[in-house]
Amino acid sequence: MLAYVIRRLAYGVVVVFGVLLFLFLLFFMMTNPDDVARKALGERVPPEVIEQWKVNHGYDKPLFPSSSNLTDNMLFEHYRRMLTFDFGRSDADDTLIMTRIREGMGPSLALTVPLFILSLGVAIPFALLVAFFRETYIDRTGVVLSVLAMSVSILLYIIGAQYLIGKLLRWFPISGFDFDPQLVVRFLALPLLVGVMSGIGGNVRFYRTVFLEESNRDYVRTARAKGCGEARLMSHHVFRNSLIPLLTQVVLAIPFLFTGSLLLESFFGIPGLGAITVDAINGNDFSTLRTMVYIGSLLFIIGQILTDLSYGLVDPRVRLE
Amino acid sequence: MSSRWPATRRHRLAWMLVVACLACTNNPYPSSDSEKKILYTSFGDAPRTLDPAVAYTTSAHVITGAVYDTLLEYHYLKRPYELIPGLASDLPRSYRSEDGGIVYRFELRQGVLYQDDPCFELGGAGRQSREVLMADVAFALMRIADPDVNSPVAEPFSNVAGFQDFTARLSERREADADFARRPVRQQYAEVGPIDGVRVDGEHVLEIALASAYPQILYWFAMPFTAPLPWEAVEYYDGRQGRDRLADHPVGAGPYVLAEYNKQSRFVLEANANWYGALHPEWRAPGAVYPFEGEERDRQAGRLDPAVVGRPLPFIERVEFRREKESIPYFNKFLQGYYDASGVIKESFERVIHEGGLSEEMRALGISLEKTVQPSVYYIGFNMDDETIGTPAGERARLLRQAMSMVIDAREYARLFMNGRGVPAQSLLPPGIFGYDEAYENPNRRIDLERARQLMEEAGYPNGIDPKTQRPLRLTFDTPDTQAQARLRFEFFTRSWRQIGIDVEISATNYNQFQEKVRNGSYQIFMWGWVADYPDPENFLFLLWSEMARSKSGGPNTANFSDTRFDELYLSMKGRENGPQRLAEIREMLKILERQRPWIELFHPEDYALYHGWLTNVKPFGMSFSTTKYRDLDATKRASLRADWNEPVLWPLYAVTLLSLAVLVPGIITFMRERQ
Repeated sequence: MLAYVIRRLAYGVVVVFGVLLFLFLLFFMMTNPDDVARKALGERVPPEVIEQWKVNHGYDKPLFPSSSNLTDNMLFEHYRRMLTFDFGRSDADDTLIMTRIREGMGPSLALTVPLFILSLGVAIPFALLVAFFRETYIDRTGVVLSVLAMSVSILLYIIGAQYLIGKLLRWFPISGFDFDPQLVVRFLALPLLVGVMSGIGGNVRFYRTVFLEESNRDYVRTARAKGCGEARLMSHHVFRNSLIPLLTQVVLAIPFLFTGSLLLESFFGIPGLGAITVDAINGNDFSTLRTMVYIGSLLFIIGQILTDLSYGLVDPRVRLE
Repeated sequence: MSSRWPATRRHRLAWMLVVACLACTNNPYPSSDSEKKILYTSFGDAPRTLDPAVAYTTSAHVITGAVYDTLLEYHYLKRPYELIPGLASDLPRSYRSEDGGIVYRFELRQGVLYQDDPCFELGGAGRQSREVLMADVAFALMRIADPDVNSPVAEPFSNVAGFQDFTARLSERREADADFARRPVRQQYAEVGPIDGVRVDGEHVLEIALASAYPQILYWFAMPFTAPLPWEAVEYYDGRQGRDRLADHPVGAGPYVLAEYNKQSRFVLEANANWYGALHPEWRAPGAVYPFEGEERDRQAGRLDPAVVGRPLPFIERVEFRREKESIPYFNKFLQGYYDASGVIKESFERVIHEGGLSEEMRALGISLEKTVQPSVYYIGFNMDDETIGTPAGERARLLRQAMSMVIDAREYARLFMNGRGVPAQSLLPPGIFGYDEAYENPNRRIDLERARQLMEEAGYPNGIDPKTQRPLRLTFDTPDTQAQARLRFEFFTRSWRQIGIDVEISATNYNQFQEKVRNGSYQIFMWGWVADYPDPENFLFLLWSEMARSKSGGPNTANFSDTRFDELYLSMKGRENGPQRLAEIREMLKILERQRPWIELFHPEDYALYHGWLTNVKPFGMSFSTTKYRDLDATKRASLRADWNEPVLWPLYAVTLLSLAVLVPGIITFMRERQ
C-alpha cells in the first residue's frame, strides 16, 4: 500500500506542476503586470507609482527564464513561492495571504461542513425512502422531483431563495455573515437551504440507483426469505453494502470543504475562501488566485488518495498495489 | 414524575428550538443593538489602503476622513464649497515672504489629543495617546514627498518650496547609504529634512511657503493626505511580528476610531472619546458643532432645525459597514430597513423614480430622495496633434470639430444609458464650481443638424465626403473599454456623426494598448471623465493647460490642447482668489474652448441618494469628504418600523408540510397494507 501511496503522490507532484504552469500561462495570456498594478492602485495614479508598485511586487521581471537568466524571472519566482508555501502578500491590498486563508477558513467551514452533513442527511434517507417504495408513485414522484431539482441552475436557486424566502417571506436575512455564534445560524440558514436544494436531485438519483442495484442482489432476497423486515433490510443490509460507491463521492468531497463554495459564498456575502477566490479573479489578484488554485489542487490529490485508501478499509477484498 | 424523553434528548430538542427561533428572522443585526444610534452602511470591496498619504478613493476616504482630522475642513451645508478651520484654530493667514513668495501660517489648537492606541507606548511606557503637534503635519508632508511611500498626490505639493529637493535628497541618501535606508523613517527625515517650505514654529504653528502661486493648496489641507500623523503609528504598525500595517490600522485625531477592520465582511467606526469636540465642547469649534448657517434649501429640508443647530458632534455613536457585493440584495435590505441610506440601483430605477421624483411606494415608506450633481465632467476629446482632426489641419479641423460637437445630444445619451442621471454640460465646469454659469448656453453644444452640415461644407467635407478619397471622412474613436455594453454607448456617438456623413470606427483595445496609443499619439477621438479633487475651477482648467499635454509631459491634457492665450489666462487665474477678475479670465478661457472645441462636453453625472425618514441632517457632499459626524438618526423609530416591515410570513411553511404529508402518508399506508 505504501508503494501505491508513493506512486500516487509522485503523480500528484506532476499534476501540481502542470496546474501551476497552466495557471501562469493562462493568467498572463489574459492580462499583464501593468493591468494587475492598475487594478490594485486605481486609474488615477501616475505612471511612476505604477512602476514602483511593479518593482515592489516583483512584476518588473521578465515572465520566462532565458538561457542567461534562469532564476530572476516571474515563472521561477511563481514556482519557488508555491513549492515553499511562501504565499506572500495579496496584489490587491498587500494583506498576508496566509492571514487571509486563516480568516476565511472559519466562515467556509461554517458553511460547507453543515452543508455536507445536511446534504448527506437529507439525500441518503430520501434515496432510501424512494428505493424502499420502488415502483410506487412515491418513487416516481421522487425521481421526477429529483430530475426537476437537477435541471435548475444554482444561480436561479440563489436568486429565487433570496427573493422568496429572504424578501417576501422574511424568514432569514437575504445575505451577509456575522462571526457572532448567535447570529451565524440565521445567516447560514438560507445558503444551506439553497445548497441542499441544488444538490439534492443529483444525489438522490445517484444514491437511489446504488440502493436499487444492491437491493436486487441474491443476499437481499435470501434475507427477505428468512423473514427480515423491509426497514431493517434497507438499513442493515442494502445501505451497508452500498458504502463503496457512496465513499467515492463523499471522501472526495471532504478536502474541498476547506476551499469553500465559490457561488454560495460570493452571492450570500460569506467571507470564506470561496469568496476570496472570486475576489481574486475579479481583482486580477494573481498572488491570491495562484495560492487558492495551488491549495485546491493539493486537496484534490489528497482527496483522491484518501478515497482509494478508504476502499481498502471498507472492503477487505480491495487491495492497493 | 417520569418522562418519556431522556434528559439529554430534551436538552437537544430545546437547543434545536432555540436555534430555530433565533434563525427565523431576517434581522441581520443583534436585537440588543436595535435601539442604539448605529448607522448601517455598506462597502463593495475594501479599500486597498488606509494610509492617509496614499488612500485616494472615495471608499477609503469614508474611513480615513472620519479617523484623521485635518487642519481645515469643508462647511457641511454651504455651497459653493467653503473651507472652515478643523484642527487649526482659524483659517491660515497668508503673507508674502522676502523673496516674494506666498506663505500660509497655520495655528493648531492646543490640547488636541490622538485616539488611544498601543503605538504611543513607543514614546514612553504606559502612554496611550499624546498631543497633536504641528511637527506631525510636517511629518505627514514628508511622507507624501517620500518616494517609498508612493503617494499619488505628490505632484500638487511640488508647489511647496523645496518639496522636490527633499524627495531628491532622500532618494540619493538612501541609494548611497544602505545603513541610512534601514533606519526608521523619522530619523531619515530628521537627517535629510526639513522641506524648505514647511517650517514648524514651536509646537502649534506651521508655515507653508510656496515656490509658485497655488492658493488651491489650502484644499489639500482639508483632505486626509495632510492630516497630522504620529510617527509612533508609522514606526509601530510596520506589519512585522504580528503587528498590523499602517495601511490597515489608522491612528488619528478624528471624531471616530476604526474599532474593527475585517476587509472581507465588516468595518466598525466608533466615536473617539479623545476627540477635541468630545473633550472640549466649550471651545464650540466650527468643526465640532453642527453648522449654524446653510442654504435656503437646507432650511426647507429641515437641516437647520433650531434643535440641532450648534449641537456638539458627532451624533452617531457607531457606524457599521457591512460587505455587500451584489446591488440587489443590498437594495432589498435597504427597503427592509436594515440599511439607512442607498443609491438608486439600475434594476429598480423604474420602481423607485417616477417622472424625476420618488414613486408613491417609496414615499409611503417615508423614504426621501436627494439629487446632487457631482463635481465632475465627462467629455469626448480630440487629439489636437492629429493631422486630420487637430491643430495641424488648422481652420478646417476647427470647423469639423464644431460640426461634430453640434450633433451629440448629451441629454439623450444620459436618458438612454444613465436613466437620465446627468446634467448636459455646456462647459467643462460643473455646477457648484466658481465660474459655472447656469444661464450659459454653448452655441456649439446646441443640437443643430443643418448648421453642422453647413460647417462640414465650410470645412471642405461636403456631406461628410473627404475630397482626397471621395469617400466619407473616416475617423477612429479609441477606447480602453471592450465590453459589449460600452460598444452600444459608443455607437450612439458614431450614429450621431453618421448624420453629417462622417464614418467613425470604434477601436476598442485593452487599457495598456490604449495607453500605448496615447503615448504614441496615434489616436483621434476618445471619451474620458474627470472628478474634481477640490472645488476650484483650476482643477478642471488645468486639464487643457499646454504644460499638462500628454505628448509633452505625460500629463492629463490628453487632448494635447495648446493655446497661448488660454495658457496665459490659466496661469493668471490659478494664482488669484475668487473675484470679478478671476471670473472674467475664466469666462474668456471658456470662450476659447467654445470656439476651439478640443472637447465635446457631455454631462455632469447626477447622484440619486435615498434616505429613510429616521436618518436626519443628511446632505450629499459631492467632494470626497467624510460627513458622518453631522448625521443623526432616530433609533426608536427605526426599530419600530423594522419590526412592522419584517414580520415573517409562515403560512407557506405549514402549507408545504401539510402537502408533503398528504403525498406521503397515503402512499406509505397503501404500501404497508400491500406488504402485509
